[in-house]
Amino acid sequence: MINSMLMWVIVAAPDGGEPSFSIAKMMAIIVSAIFINNYVLSRFLGICPFLGVSKQLDSAVGMGAAVVFVMVLATLGSWLVYHNVLVPNGMEYLRTITFIIIIASLVQLVEMILQKFSPALYDALGIFLPLITTNCAILGVAVLNIDDKYSLGYSLINSVAAGIGFTLALVLMAGLRERMETANVPEALKGLPLAFLIAGAMSIAFLGFAGLGG
Amino acid sequence: MSIAQDFSKGIMRENPVFKQALGMCPFLAVTTSVENALGMGAAATFVLVFSNFLVSLFRKVIPAKVRIPSYIVIIATFVTLVDLLMNAYLPALHQSLGIFIPLIVVNCIILGRAEGFANKNKVLPSIVDGVGMGFGFTLAMVIMATFREILGNGSWLGFNLLGESYQNQPMLIAILAPGAFILMAFILGFFNIMEKRKRGGAK
Amino acid sequence: MGEILRVGFMLMLVAVIAAVALGYVNSITSPIIAEQKEQAKLDAMIDVAGSLASGELTFDSLSVPELENPYAEVDETLAVVSVTDSTGTELGYLFVAYGKGYSSTVQTMIAVNTAGTVTGNTVLYQQETPGLGANVSNPARFLYQFDGLNASSLLLSKDGGGLDSITGSTITSRAVTNSVRDGLDALCEAGLIPVSGGAQ
Repeated sequence: MINSMLMWVIVAAPDGGEPSFSIAKMMAIIVSAIFINNYVLSRFLGICPFLGVSKQLDSAVGMGAAVVFVMVLATLGSWLVYHNVLVPNGMEYLRTITFIIIIASLVQLVEMILQKFSPALYDALGIFLPLITTNCAILGVAVLNIDDKYSLGYSLINSVAAGIGFTLALVLMAGLRERMETANVPEALKGLPLAFLIAGAMSIAFLGFAGLGG
Repeated sequence: MSIAQDFSKGIMRENPVFKQALGMCPFLAVTTSVENALGMGAAATFVLVFSNFLVSLFRKVIPAKVRIPSYIVIIATFVTLVDLLMNAYLPALHQSLGIFIPLIVVNCIILGRAEGFANKNKVLPSIVDGVGMGFGFTLAMVIMATFREILGNGSWLGFNLLGESYQNQPMLIAILAPGAFILMAFILGFFNIMEKRKRGGAK
Repeated sequence: MGEILRVGFMLMLVAVIAAVALGYVNSITSPIIAEQKEQAKLDAMIDVAGSLASGELTFDSLSVPELENPYAEVDETLAVVSVTDSTGTELGYLFVAYGKGYSSTVQTMIAVNTAGTVTGNTVLYQQETPGLGANVSNPARFLYQFDGLNASSLLLSKDGGGLDSITGSTITSRAVTNSVRDGLDALCEAGLIPVSGGAQ
């Protein structure tokens, strides 16, 4: 009675075939990743470095740059491996394990290359790199690009925008926290609780972007 | 340290969320409902217990140099296992936890316990430590989700507590992203006050 | 050198064991997952089609060559299922509408009778904001309004129609409404249902 032709696949966001590249979609992805669905303030990805490395503006900028860098490389690597190795062999279930290995080795590689060829850059970003492996925003971007069925081009754009969104949140946070350092706040809220309150206020502000795009 | 202490430290004294501020991403993201909190807690506890078990079992075999990558592979394996099992048997929960299931891999609590405890301890205490930390994480999430679900949706674990009229005009902010940050600020502030009281009393 | 080889070998070993173990579990769970997905879809179909008529219903997938796919941007095929009763009378159609919402593509299954009136619906998938757009899954919040409407009256009050959107979730409400209307329009164009206005 039930015919097997009724195979409607229920998937996250089907994005049929290889879509042609459109500027409108590109802009929508960028605005969404930076403002509307900001990875930190709305999707809750990358909270650990957001709280840990936002005490000073300088280190926030450094961390942001390192994250954008690794995010793009990780997206490139994970997208290519997923679509060229895992999918053809029916091994999609190894996605998580493959992606985390790619990210961990990339971070190692970047660290070694920077150390060798650009000591100046290494000095600036070096201390942040080991922290990046466990930054869930990186793995999050890699996984979301697959879930949202983005083509490689859109994936890369999404990862750059996500990195910029992360950096924006981090830098804003650092600026606010530097000022709060000298403010007279209740004893119980000093430190982490205050950071959360500031993040909450920023998150409310970012809710205002919800009407954009759409 | 006794087995009982190994278990109980994760729940209060060294609670991964409230005392160590670890595992913040899933903690803030999935606490929109108590059901999600319990699901995420169970998944994370499962991974925590098994990764602690294996890491402790092979702590003398795995070379120190590739320690961390090996742990990550072990953790990722159990995360994938949970992902597959949940998708097969609890599809609704799997859908609502979404991307945060694969992201258990980068939950700092799990790698932290592998490196900080299971790595140096015998198998049994490591398992107990995993169970305790997992319970602590789950408990913290349930507390947070209780506030958010009651305020933001008028219900607890799906049961309507505050009535239809509240559900039509709830305190939405609690369930939205800012509510998570702000409630967490107050919870941590509360713990700070308690700690100060205790220290004041001891003097 | 020997050290590096030994260490590399250990790491390889860990990875291989992990991959084999997962492959085994996957071989067990993947048929269950597939079956469970198919079952969920079937349940939804039976549930939604129940609004057309009670009793035994037969589903048959339709292929209409001239049917234009309104969801080309999100899915390559528009699947339409025709519903007939035990006597072979065609009662109506089922289809899945895809609408790009706030943070996900909302998939709504719609039952429409041969007169072009929506009789039943259910949300198959959504990942909208909890507390806001996610309320679309609760029929009493929004989708109850769809029953008895045809393509011409499927419009939010904000867009000049008569449907009240979910509070604070205009984007989700609009996505669902417009995607369903697009689907009905496509059925109209294919000649499966009469042009809007048949039933008010």
